[in-house]
Amino acid sequence: MTTRRQKRLYAGLSLLVGLAVTVGLILYALSENIDLFYTPSEIIHGKKETGVKPTVGQRLRIGGMVVEGSVKRDPESLMVEFELQDTGPKVVVRYDGILPDLFREGQGIVANGYLREGNVIEAFEVLAKHDEEYMPPDLAEAMKGIKHVKPSENPELGYQ
Amino acid sequence: MKNYKLLIPIVAFLLVSIFLYKGLYSDPTNIENANLAKPFPEFQLADLMDENRLYSKADLLGEYTLINVWGTWCVTCRVELPFMTQLRQQGVKIVGVYYDNAAEAAFGELDVRQTRREVTEMLAQLGNPFQFNIYDEKRDLSLDLGVTGAPESFLIDDKGTIIAHRRGAIDHRVWQNEFAPLLPNNHGSNLSEQQK
Amino acid sequence: MLPEIGHFSLLISLVFSVCLAIFPLIGAQKKIVEFVALAKPLVYANFTLLSVAFFCLSWAFYHNDFSVTYVAMNSNSDLPWYYRLSAVWGAHEGSLLLWVWILSLWTAGVAFFSSSLDDDDVARVLAVMGFIAIGFLAFVIFTSNPFERTFPMFPIDGRDLNPLLQDVGLIIHPPMLYMGYVGFSVAFAFAVAALIGGKLDATWARWSRPWTLSAWGFLTAGITLGSWWAYYELGWGGWWFWDPVENASFMPWLAGTALIHSLAVTEKRGAFKSWTVLLAISAFSLSLLGTFLVRSGILVSVHAFASDPTRGLFILVYLLIVIGGALTLYAWRADKVVSTHRYKLFSREVLLFVNNVLLVAALVVVLLGTLLPLVHKEIGLGSISIGAPFFDSVSSIWFIPFIIALSIGPFVRWKQDRFSRIKTKLFVGAVPAAIVAITCYLMLQINTFFSLLGVVLATWLAALVVYELITSGKKNPLPLSHWGMSLGHLGFAALVIGIAITKVASVDKSVRISPGQSVTVNNYEFKFTAVEQFEGPNYSAYHALFDVSNGSDSFSLKAEKRYYKMHSNVMTEAGIDPGLWRDIYISLGEQLDGDAWAVTANVKPFVRWIWLGGVLMVLGSIMCILDKRYRKILSWRAQRQPSEAGPVESVSANKVIEQKVKFE
Repeated sequence: MTTRRQKRLYAGLSLLVGLAVTVGLILYALSENIDLFYTPSEIIHGKKETGVKPTVGQRLRIGGMVVEGSVKRDPESLMVEFELQDTGPKVVVRYDGILPDLFREGQGIVANGYLREGNVIEAFEVLAKHDEEYMPPDLAEAMKGIKHVKPSENPELGYQ
Repeated sequence: MKNYKLLIPIVAFLLVSIFLYKGLYSDPTNIENANLAKPFPEFQLADLMDENRLYSKADLLGEYTLINVWGTWCVTCRVELPFMTQLRQQGVKIVGVYYDNAAEAAFGELDVRQTRREVTEMLAQLGNPFQFNIYDEKRDLSLDLGVTGAPESFLIDDKGTIIAHRRGAIDHRVWQNEFAPLLPNNHGSNLSEQQK
Repeated sequence: MLPEIGHFSLLISLVFSVCLAIFPLIGAQKKIVEFVALAKPLVYANFTLLSVAFFCLSWAFYHNDFSVTYVAMNSNSDLPWYYRLSAVWGAHEGSLLLWVWILSLWTAGVAFFSSSLDDDDVARVLAVMGFIAIGFLAFVIFTSNPFERTFPMFPIDGRDLNPLLQDVGLIIHPPMLYMGYVGFSVAFAFAVAALIGGKLDATWARWSRPWTLSAWGFLTAGITLGSWWAYYELGWGGWWFWDPVENASFMPWLAGTALIHSLAVTEKRGAFKSWTVLLAISAFSLSLLGTFLVRSGILVSVHAFASDPTRGLFILVYLLIVIGGALTLYAWRADKVVSTHRYKLFSREVLLFVNNVLLVAALVVVLLGTLLPLVHKEIGLGSISIGAPFFDSVSSIWFIPFIIALSIGPFVRWKQDRFSRIKTKLFVGAVPAAIVAITCYLMLQINTFFSLLGVVLATWLAALVVYELITSGKKNPLPLSHWGMSLGHLGFAALVIGIAITKVASVDKSVRISPGQSVTVNNYEFKFTAVEQFEGPNYSAYHALFDVSNGSDSFSLKAEKRYYKMHSNVMTEAGIDPGLWRDIYISLGEQLDGDAWAVTANVKPFVRWIWLGGVLMVLGSIMCILDKRYRKILSWRAQRQPSEAGPVESVSANKVIEQKVKFE
């Protein structure tokens, strides 16, 4: 028969261990899954705030305008390649899948993917900025949802 | 000793509130445009209403001009038009850059006559702030300007240098704080907030 | 004229709410009977006034009164009448009006069903709810008035409702969600009133339990509907996205789930008292926080440009007053609460405590994932996004201890128990779990560890729930609340099975395909037969027709792409063949050169189980509320009404109820 004090000690200890494990797991999951946002110029020249350039293989988010006339489709599959630009240099985005409804040349998009070479991004998700309009938040809220596009074949999803 | 842990929730909540407060005031419309303090890009584009009338950068020079990128499909532009019309009445030169909504192109070719009808109707209803409208059909000018949506506005001085930029609607507050002080004769600074 | 009446009702209602927040509270503290007596009439008057306001706005929508700005912006005369009515809550102003109206509905409910409670306590509760109403009414009136007119020029026709919202799911989704959000205000008000009155015994827990359960039921229904809607309306078969707007509704749900379990302990055993108070405050605070996050546009800033932060600031100040006030009161008063109840390490109390800790941990993770991007940006580290991968990987670990605690919990006795006593019972679930695991492995090719574990644990849980129902039902008939609990737990098992299987066993193929060609996905052959153009009432569309068959089973499906002229908006309407064991889901992508289209064909096994789980949980909460003990409380009210009860009688009334509850 253990004393009550001993029991409390065990309970407290197991709580502490549990807490530490939980915090550790969460931090680990976070460090694996934070995607930094870059513009095409920032991919080439480094981030505005910090000057840090993304490394090859890094997962990131990129946002910019699809350059007019740059969309090339594979005639056999859904593979598509296009250029993105903000006001500086261009980067190339490759994507295999269905593009969102509002994807069009000269239109702003956001893509999630991996940096492959210096200026090539292999996207696993392309999101159209669903409207080109700067909306008051209430309007935007009413339109909630359309930005969701399938994260196809994302190997990082915890279930693979 | 025991009481301190009861303070945890309130302290955590106050910490979160500080960030919520800061987030509220970090205005995403203030994203710096790379073209600020640079000359307005060169262009050669037709009038929205008359494809034979061509404009170039020279048409914007000689006077402080507000360039407004807009479209009839854009709700916020509607909100902005009456105020801009007041600005014009105060003597501000405003030039429109018409920006088509790409989604419409998905269902058949865009019909410029249809667009013109809509523009005429909308300007008649809400007021017409524009001296003229440039039709940026291929969006080259918009891309050069780094425009990512509508409405978006640029103020250029008499030599064609971009001196101010705004993403989203210009209202009385924004005009008063960010644009009016840059004008040589402080146009529109005496506008009251009676619009609506 | 009607819009002006609506506006005027709002103004009077604001005045009444101010009175409601002040006089009954003073009355209860200083024992002024006249002030206390003011509470209920004020509540009913408020409810009537806000109903009038709500009716006026609905009327304006129904009759296409485009002189009202809000109507002109969100409706159109082409819209069918039911969408015109649901457009009332289609945007900011109207949904806030709905929020306030629902608050007045809950307040009136509390006033109506609380006759057997002490008048002073009721007065405090109603005053707190009146205080909550002040902020939202002021917000509606001063920053988001839905009755504003477009004079002098008004449009001939409206701008139409956002096409995404023109859907049956979206007619009922917001009211359900708001019933849930706002419903937590009752538990909040009970908790705060208990803190103010200094009566932190188990009474408040007993009274707020049915209210909390019904709010939780509504919120569950709202979230389930939202997920189902996203599945068929957004066009690629996702059912949960972990986006800030969804997280905003998920956080109160987690807190609410913790609360209904912790309330049970507080009510039955008198333990966890101060923790339950904190949860009751948190559940509603998180609802308010969610409203703030959504309404201020602070987190959805990708496409929301807050040109004017006044609205956001207004809610933030309000949050500081309500949440900050409640938490301060908690820090100040809650140390007086002593839970004298003792229990051993292996007891139902501890397992429920584990359940609470896990739910709160999940809550903290979701909060962290939602707010971290904001914090990251504000401290100058640049924009980041935390999406589904983070939440998915955390929740795939989280559910393991949660399900284990959930399965064992109902078998363990209150206060103290021995593991050896229940050990053998736990094996009952092992056989079905093993069978299901092998079946899943062989039939559905589920071979990832976490999914298989998910299915196994969920089956084990379900088997134990059924076993527990059978064994404890033998001795005496089970109360409805017991059935409700079991149903809720079964719902959770169904949810886990649905998620685990559909995450791994779903197969999809995105292909380039022309009419006449076909594609095979998971034994199903999809034959693309034709594309047709179609003109809807306020949109034009392409219909893509498919014949689907897998030998035994064949049917045709129609996937659609719509273009809404008024909003220049393109929408994908998926073609879905639903089934308990699998969904077939086709969505139409873009038109490619020639007559080819990009098309995604999906086979999604068990995806319906996710919403089935939600439905079971809602049914469970309904059964709990319909339980005899709560009905007895209500029927007691009916008996008592004819003879106006004096104070002595009301004390005895409470005692009787207490005995009845104990008897359960």
